[in-house]
Amino acid sequence: MIVSPENMTFDGKKFSMILYGSPGIGKTTLALSAPDPVLIDFDRGMSRVRSQHRKTAIFCDTYEDVLNDLASPDMKQFQTIVVDTGGSFITYLQDWAMRADPKVNCQKNGAISLKGFGAVKMEFSRFTSYVKDTLNKNLIYVFHSLEQMDKDGNPQVRLMCEGAAKNIVWTPCDFGGYVQMIGDRRDVCFTPEQEFFAKGCHGIKGHWTVPELGPADTNDFITKLFDKAKANIAAEAEEYAPLKEQYDRVMEMVHQILDTVKDEETANRALQDIPNLAHALTSKRESSAMLSECAKNIGLIYSKSAGGFVRKEEKEA
Amino acid sequence: MAKYLITQSLLSSWLYIYDCFEGNEDGAMDAFLHTLRREPEDLDDEQRQRIQNGIDFEQAVYTEASGQPRAPHPKWEHGICEIAAFLKGAQFQVKAYREIEIAGITFLVYGILDALRKGVIYDVKFKNKSFGSLDLAGDYLGSPQHPLYFYLVPEARQFRYMVSDGQDLYIEQYEPEDCPSAADLILQFVQFLKANNLLDTYLQHWQARS
Repeated sequence: MIVSPENMTFDGKKFSMILYGSPGIGKTTLALSAPDPVLIDFDRGMSRVRSQHRKTAIFCDTYEDVLNDLASPDMKQFQTIVVDTGGSFITYLQDWAMRADPKVNCQKNGAISLKGFGAVKMEFSRFTSYVKDTLNKNLIYVFHSLEQMDKDGNPQVRLMCEGAAKNIVWTPCDFGGYVQMIGDRRDVCFTPEQEFFAKGCHGIKGHWTVPELGPADTNDFITKLFDKAKANIAAEAEEYAPLKEQYDRVMEMVHQILDTVKDEETANRALQDIPNLAHALTSKRESSAMLSECAKNIGLIYSKSAGGFVRKEEKEA
Repeated sequence: MAKYLITQSLLSSWLYIYDCFEGNEDGAMDAFLHTLRREPEDLDDEQRQRIQNGIDFEQAVYTEASGQPRAPHPKWEHGICEIAAFLKGAQFQVKAYREIEIAGITFLVYGILDALRKGVIYDVKFKNKSFGSLDLAGDYLGSPQHPLYFYLVPEARQFRYMVSDGQDLYIEQYEPEDCPSAADLILQFVQFLKANNLLDTYLQHWQARS
């Protein structure tokens, strides 16, 4: 299906998010404020959510149980999968990896092997893209935070997760929010600071204060945040779509001009023509680099004094 | 009028004095003075190998992204292909420079962009240690590289650090409004040089060729 920018809608756009913070700060309740969530309760944390804000949950003994539940037709009613916690999920994956291939993934003492850690990391990535791309759901990973000291002894907060997954988990996620108390206020921060890492996207950045939830209040903080992100995407698309289209048009013309470059004369004609195109984004700089490369390939070099390309041997002489 | 070069590696070397391991401040200051005097680094074989690994990795990424033939790498193939997939159609090793006047001195900010495409600057980083033993998130928050490169390419909308250990890919991205201005960074650098009587040393060694 070919869709032009003016006909694009982002209503169905799905997001992935990391929420991390200290135990007891309300991360699970916050994650459950996403649209139509189901919580995979690896950490048995649903009991700590106030009864009026509890949602449907998947309780499991093994990772295979989770995969079976996710494949069930009942999942259609949910828009968001909450993995609580990401750290416990890794523990389940380790158990799965060691059972699936004990010879390779298990050490003699029963601990997971290096190859086992590799298998866990691969499955973590596969699971993330399965939920986002195949099931087409929002995905929220909840992590506990770990306070450590940096090399100067300053406190630094990181998400609690074993192995390489702690780094690869950030790449596919749209938002990474650090949940913290600031005085009496509970904030989620989406902009990195020296003390902690965070990730914003689609205009969602800085501190967002989480309102105190009363018994009758609707728990919809993240639903509203996702709606705001969708509105920002639409606005950004409206603003930048013409620039991107212009960029594509110009780059096509640049390629056509470069195809004509065969010698000093055509290279210097291209040198005059390319800057006069209606450039957008970084097209001018990119096309300049392309022309230099093209000229170099046919033995030409730019001479400041000549104000154009000359044969390399002429400049050297 | 004379102009003086500012590069991200010079500013990184200076900022490392504040960011080094506790007790290593003298070593960091010595390393900065080496850089400031543009003296060749005294590297051991292991350090040289680490640098060479980074060069080899980057070169393989550019070759792959450009669609040129190459033999699969025995150790880093996955990491190479993961980054190259983002860089298809990009221009590589794009040189950029732009003047800025701070505290009465004309500086020439200079940098080489690893890759540039459609408003995004990419910087390829290779880690010799595997991700399992690292904690990368936020590693580049204080780097002077993205502020300087946004100054060099004001039409860019995003800067992406593409980090790999040869296996995995970690991306940290910044937008212009998320970072300090290049002017502020350079001003602080000049103030540091003046406070430590090093401004003359800088002016002596970093004059740009006209």
